Amino acid sequence: MKIGIPRSLLYYYYYPFWQTLFAELGNEVVVSDPTSGDQLNEGVKESVSEICVPMKVHIGQVLNLLEKGVDLIYIPRFVSIRRGITFCPKFLGLPDMIKNSIAAVRGKILTHEIRAKTDDISAYKNYTIFRDIFRVSKGELKKALEAARQNWLKFRALQQEGYKTEKLLLGEKEKREEGLLKIGVLGYVYNLYDRFINMDFLDRLEELGAKIVTFEMLDGDIVDRFIKNLRKPMFWEFTNRLMAAGYHFINSADIDGIIHITAFGCGPDSILGPFLEIDAGQKNKPFMTLRIDEQTGESHLITRIEAFLDLLKLKKRSDIA
Amino acid sequence: MRVSFPYMGSTIVYGKLLELLGHQVVMPEPPTRKTVDLGVKYSPEFACFPFKVIMGTYLETLERGVELFVTTGGQGPCRAGFYGELHKKIIQNMGYDVDFIVLDPPWRDYEKFFRQILTLKGDNSWFKVAEVIHTVYKMCKSVDIIEKLITTVRAYAGDRAALNRSWRDILTAYSQIETARDVARVEEEALRVIEKYDIKLPPQEKRIRIGIVGEIYVVMEPSINGNIEEILNSLGAETERSLYLSTYIDETIFPWIGRKEKKKLIKKASGYIDLNIGGHARLSVGQIVDFKDRGFDGVIHLKPFACLPELISESMLEKLSADLDMPILSLSIDEQTAEANIMTRLDAFVDFIKYGKAYSKERVSLSV
Ligand code: SF4
Ligand code: SF4
Repeated sequence: MKIGIPRSLLYYYYYPFWQTLFAELGNEVVVSDPTSGDQLNEGVKESVSEICVPMKVHIGQVLNLLEKGVDLIYIPRFVSIRRGITFCPKFLGLPDMIKNSIAAVRGKILTHEIRAKTDDISAYKNYTIFRDIFRVSKGELKKALEAARQNWLKFRALQQEGYKTEKLLLGEKEKREEGLLKIGVLGYVYNLYDRFINMDFLDRLEELGAKIVTFEMLDGDIVDRFIKNLRKPMFWEFTNRLMAAGYHFINSADIDGIIHITAFGCGPDSILGPFLEIDAGQKNKPFMTLRIDEQTGESHLITRIEAFLDLLKLKKRSDIA
Repeated sequence: MRVSFPYMGSTIVYGKLLELLGHQVVMPEPPTRKTVDLGVKYSPEFACFPFKVIMGTYLETLERGVELFVTTGGQGPCRAGFYGELHKKIIQNMGYDVDFIVLDPPWRDYEKFFRQILTLKGDNSWFKVAEVIHTVYKMCKSVDIIEKLITTVRAYAGDRAALNRSWRDILTAYSQIETARDVARVEEEALRVIEKYDIKLPPQEKRIRIGIVGEIYVVMEPSINGNIEEILNSLGAETERSLYLSTYIDETIFPWIGRKEKKKLIKKASGYIDLNIGGHARLSVGQIVDFKDRGFDGVIHLKPFACLPELISESMLEKLSADLDMPILSLSIDEQTAEANIMTRLDAFVDFIKYGKAYSKERVSLSV
């Protein structure tokens, strides 16, 4: 079978897992084309207007896969990967939304719930429906899941060693640039690594001499410990991770500044943002919010990044002096 | 201690509870344009609209010397569960010296919950506390009955303005009750008052009934949704909401009471939304189906601008409307909503329903 995987949302976190899993089960894996203006426009047409950009991108990606003639499109329902914490409501309702709003995909969606205790999503119990769909035995499915897990763990380890996620996903290995200024970049993976919607913002930062740190590069323990100690963690998994990373950056002397990249219409970030902004302010840590939407102007974005880095350089000089 | 709480359709509930427990209550005023502007100014740009309005009412009541705000935290998975914490953070960062009690469900932190309850309980005996809760609950049930009656008969009232005045008087009477017996008395009196208007309902097939579903705050709060029920009534349509005061209490305090009803709605939503995705989205969808099953003529879906879970339900309204063969109108509410715009759309919606009714009758008569 031809299994389509949309190049959106958690593709940027789990693709190595999915790719191995479906290939091991004897399928051809087809990834949708990188986001483009036309593709996004198609997505926008099929979306409710107020929904966040990443969801519009996702719908565009799903439509793109339909054009490619895949047999099934993989849209898992991520419910939880940590006890007591779920995903953003849009993830929880994702397959419902897709199948009830795009007539052409009905009958072509492969979906199932993912509930796990950690971000290792390989537990057999989540995948039992795969046995009938792919006609495999329990043993074969377990073996495929284990292979997928190994591959994904390798990917995670490389991320933590400082290899670029965007390159790893393409099967390449390249370390993050070194730079004079160390910038903590907070953002969901689908905003950080979709070069179209963020206008290559990571590369731009590096060109301007920044060393980038993101939440997936941090030691998993830092994040887990932080969330465990929160009296009232947020309800949403990746928002919590950003919060953990955010406070870690605020309290790390070697981080010169923090950039929060957020999508227009993101609900969870509207809660997270102010917490970080207020506390970064109190700790005197420069903090900037970059908002991306369907039509962010490129020049505007670059101007803002440049201005922010200039400010950091000045601050660094005066701190040393 | 001078205590206040957020302004939500449930003001009367909070107010009564705290007052009957002997606290000095600062009643928040219904939000006005000024309140909204104030709230918008001090809230994050992309916070949900209810967050901003509540912010506005907090800031207004603060001017009246509040020392403690009591609010509920909720368990998510939606943003409302974090309102309390974020309001607190922003308001304290603005330099106000005010405390917050954010009541979270007990299972999150049992000890803390207990401590908070003790603060609110004050010197009252537990017996008194139980009695107060009982009275307030009775009151809500009673208000709901009267309100449903009002939004039915108002569609046919000759002197609508007078009926609205009576309704306001009735609400004032409710806000002054002290015992369960008072509740019964006010209810009887209210029924008598409405009776006097001598409003006759048209025959069943001529009645237009519209259900209102969606996010709790905009559904419950007339001062926020532009008095949508009153407008619909004035256009000759009866209205019923998916949420009333007592539903709200059932959910926050006695979750087991509404369980059967909830199960029914979840079943009706299946195939559309198959998981609790936060807020009321799944129930909203169930209620749309339910309104159809009960013979309603149309449904209005209300949500604050960019509301997370209700966006998911909105995405399937077209399909629902086709599947159920019933018109559904979705409206987004925020600080930029123009009342004139809502008015026009409601007008067109009701016309559409009237036309459809006339048309289908014609069809029936043709086929005979
Ligand atoms: S977390 Fe934000 S950006 Fe991601 S799906 Fe939810 S609303 Fe959209
Ligand atoms: S249900 Fe909507 S309005 Fe309520 S907290 Fe969630 S996003 Fe905000």
